[in-house]
Amino acid sequence: MLQPHIAEEVLARATATGADFGEIYLEDQTAQNINLRSGKIETVTSGRSHGAGVRIFVGNQAVYVYTNDTSREGLLACADKAAAAVNGGKGCKIAPFRIVHAERPEEIRLLPTEIRASAKAEKVREADAAARAYSDEIVQAQVRYMDRVQDVLICNTEGTFVTDRRVYIRLNVNAVASDGKENQSGSAAPGGGMGFEIFDSRIDPAACGKEAARQAVTMLHAPVCPAGVYPVVIDNGFGGVIFHEACGHSLEATSVAYGFSEFSGRLGEMIAAPCVTAIDDGTIVNEWGSTHVDDEGMPTNKLVLIDHGKLVNYMIDKLGSRRMNMPPTGSGRRESYAWAPTSRMRNTYIAAGEDDEADMIASMGEGLYAKYMGGGSVNPATGEFNFAVNEGYWVRDGKILHPVRGASLIGRGSDVIMKIDRVGKDCRLAQGMCGSRSGSIPVNVGQPMIRVSSLTVGGR
Amino acid sequence: MEMKEFMDTLLDAAKNGGIETAEIYYSDEDSFSAKAHNGVIDSYEVSATCSLSLRGSVNGRMGYASTEAFDTEAIAYLVEAVKESAALNEAEEQDEIYAGDENYPEIEEENDDLDEVTAAEKLAIALRAEEAARTADQRIPQTEGATVSTQKGQVILRNSYGLNLHRTRKLYAAYVIPIARDGDSTATGFKLEYGRKLRGLDPVKLGKDAAADAVSKLHAEPVASGEYRIIFRHDAMQSLLQTFCGIFSAENAQQKMSLLAGREGEEIASPLITITDDPLRKGGLATAAFDGEGSATRTKAVVEKGVLKTLLHNRRTAKKQGVRTTGNASRAGGMHVSPSNFYIEPGEQSLEELLKNAGSGLLITDLSGLHAGANPISGDFSLLSKGFVIRDGAQAEPVERITVAGNIYQLLKSVRAVGSDLEFPGSPIGSPSVDAGMMPVSGK
Repeated sequence: MLQPHIAEEVLARATATGADFGEIYLEDQTAQNINLRSGKIETVTSGRSHGAGVRIFVGNQAVYVYTNDTSREGLLACADKAAAAVNGGKGCKIAPFRIVHAERPEEIRLLPTEIRASAKAEKVREADAAARAYSDEIVQAQVRYMDRVQDVLICNTEGTFVTDRRVYIRLNVNAVASDGKENQSGSAAPGGGMGFEIFDSRIDPAACGKEAARQAVTMLHAPVCPAGVYPVVIDNGFGGVIFHEACGHSLEATSVAYGFSEFSGRLGEMIAAPCVTAIDDGTIVNEWGSTHVDDEGMPTNKLVLIDHGKLVNYMIDKLGSRRMNMPPTGSGRRESYAWAPTSRMRNTYIAAGEDDEADMIASMGEGLYAKYMGGGSVNPATGEFNFAVNEGYWVRDGKILHPVRGASLIGRGSDVIMKIDRVGKDCRLAQGMCGSRSGSIPVNVGQPMIRVSSLTVGGR
Repeated sequence: MEMKEFMDTLLDAAKNGGIETAEIYYSDEDSFSAKAHNGVIDSYEVSATCSLSLRGSVNGRMGYASTEAFDTEAIAYLVEAVKESAALNEAEEQDEIYAGDENYPEIEEENDDLDEVTAAEKLAIALRAEEAARTADQRIPQTEGATVSTQKGQVILRNSYGLNLHRTRKLYAAYVIPIARDGDSTATGFKLEYGRKLRGLDPVKLGKDAAADAVSKLHAEPVASGEYRIIFRHDAMQSLLQTFCGIFSAENAQQKMSLLAGREGEEIASPLITITDDPLRKGGLATAAFDGEGSATRTKAVVEKGVLKTLLHNRRTAKKQGVRTTGNASRAGGMHVSPSNFYIEPGEQSLEELLKNAGSGLLITDLSGLHAGANPISGDFSLLSKGFVIRDGAQAEPVERITVAGNIYQLLKSVRAVGSDLEFPGSPIGSPSVDAGMMPVSGK
């Protein structure tokens, strides 16, 4: 992708005016998407994105310049634009490159770029047929298949020169149920860092279609969720979005290094209930949020964030590491070359505990059982988070009464992780796209079933 | 290869490769962005990027592909990918490449100064705005930064019928995010300005306005759960309209994803509501003479005094319904529909008058988590909200950690008053403040 001697020339030019660190990120990605609606394949789109970014640091200041022109001239032009933004600094030497190929081809059996689009379309049709067959109330199903193969090269003035290949596949089914007056929707969207063999093991398109339809039909017949403050039980898998929003973002250097986060300066303190251990792991083979090296060229690792309630680690990128005076944790990620990297989550989950799931509901009194969560968001400065409950059930006297629609959960991160009073045994991961300062990236969220002793439930 | 030569070669290669009609949509952008934080520029970004997509019809079926690499490989890749894509396309209504209109509207543009303003000036503006925010009030110890960005770009649409359309775009945006703290209360503020004349921006005012916004939200508390008279300030109403504008898409309606299907001519909103889609609006962020498939654009009422006049169409959805395209084709993978400058027409009353008439209730100023807490298919929403108590007909203490729940279809009908304060907060979608009547609130 890039000759080492050209890389060296570009880094030398980029740091010529005094920068003390320089980096080149080069990317070539091929993607294919297939969309089906109303039972017909509507669009098949193939796209190649290609570009590079040159980044330099002067102390805690960062300059980033990017382009599609990855020729020697294009990269040198980027280097010159970056250097022009700097005047003075201690400069740096360019360390000899240690060339590393981090990709592990043995993890991928069937590269999606070598599979015909017609074979991919079959998977889409299977999901659609299953969604429609579920009920006469299903009036629409939309199925999206997406794959991408991303080749990256990252090199820097510290001697890093590393290539990686990331392969992603995801199937997303959205079903709409209607009684003519009202619409409700349901979805299922599994994916992984795998080749097309993912359909032999992890993704069953018919099961996805059926699941999306079941949710939509269930919600069509559900009354609206009552509003108020109640205990809430959140099921495993995508339920982990609560930790991702309520706490995870506030442990990223992006907010910690600037002192914005409510968890800034609190290492070693008990920030969560003792039953909570939380982990961010970029190394799980074939997972949606895994990479072999991060987008700054560092090997990824398994990082314990909270150990039995105690805050033990933040997620730190290179720039954050300078501000915080702590080593980076392989957490630098970005959507593409069009974004400078920053600290981001990978596969983030609450570890399995010891509580019995059935007892958790039986002993909760009146409240909400959130079976499937939707997405959410957080303001790390204030810790206020919100997220949607896609499928919820109302519980009274410890018994599940009926489904409820339109529920949302709100609160403050530091409160909610203190109020977790039960952690179940069966931890599952689920796939999501996370949007933040370096764009939209694949992440896993996860947890076993947990209970929060009291939470504001938004409804009507 | 020069871009014009690349396009010529690509159209030839498409024809020779068996693509009957083909169209290129090309866009490029040069951008600059700098962020000031704690009195220094801590982030500086410059980019020059372009991308090109090809769509083409083979046996009457449309295929799509795109690239950001412009080598000879890219030509073969695009042509083969379009053919593979077309072969799988089974949609009953197919898009067609359009030969173009006789005339396109003239777009009146404000002069700009963005080619003259130097990088050093932009940095100075960011630094001044950040300092103004940081020093505006003792309760502002820091900011998340002040950002100044500029963009300059163009779009070229060329097809095998010889249609060759072109437009340019220039814009600056500047915003500040201060953090206010007092005791154990923390609040963030926000203020954005954008336009084409950066030298006309007052950075000190920008910083101070952002600081005032942050400070006004300190010590916010939830209110008790219950029904409240809700006034959505223009910015909160704008975010609802932006989230739910897809209900006006004929594409969604034809796919049973909008409950407005077939309801043209019916009263779907309060008589106080008129919604306009105006692609010719001067200074609008979506102002353009042609849409994503080369149709001339035009201004139209979507809702007039509560009556649905038209949904938004591209050529495919219009043909299916036997009407004329509204010039709202947009490209995102395939050919879809999206609004241009789309807004609720302002009424007569100021926000103060709306508050006075309501007497008591809640003024909602911020809605969060719209991507998750609002369902564009059912129209239901339950959203984390911030704002102020309305007491004795005026804005009183701040409120946070509450949710406001409702349904967009019902809300449009229950509107009691529309304010005069139409704004477009960094978006082509705009709204004035709206008195929505009684709505359920979940709080403490």
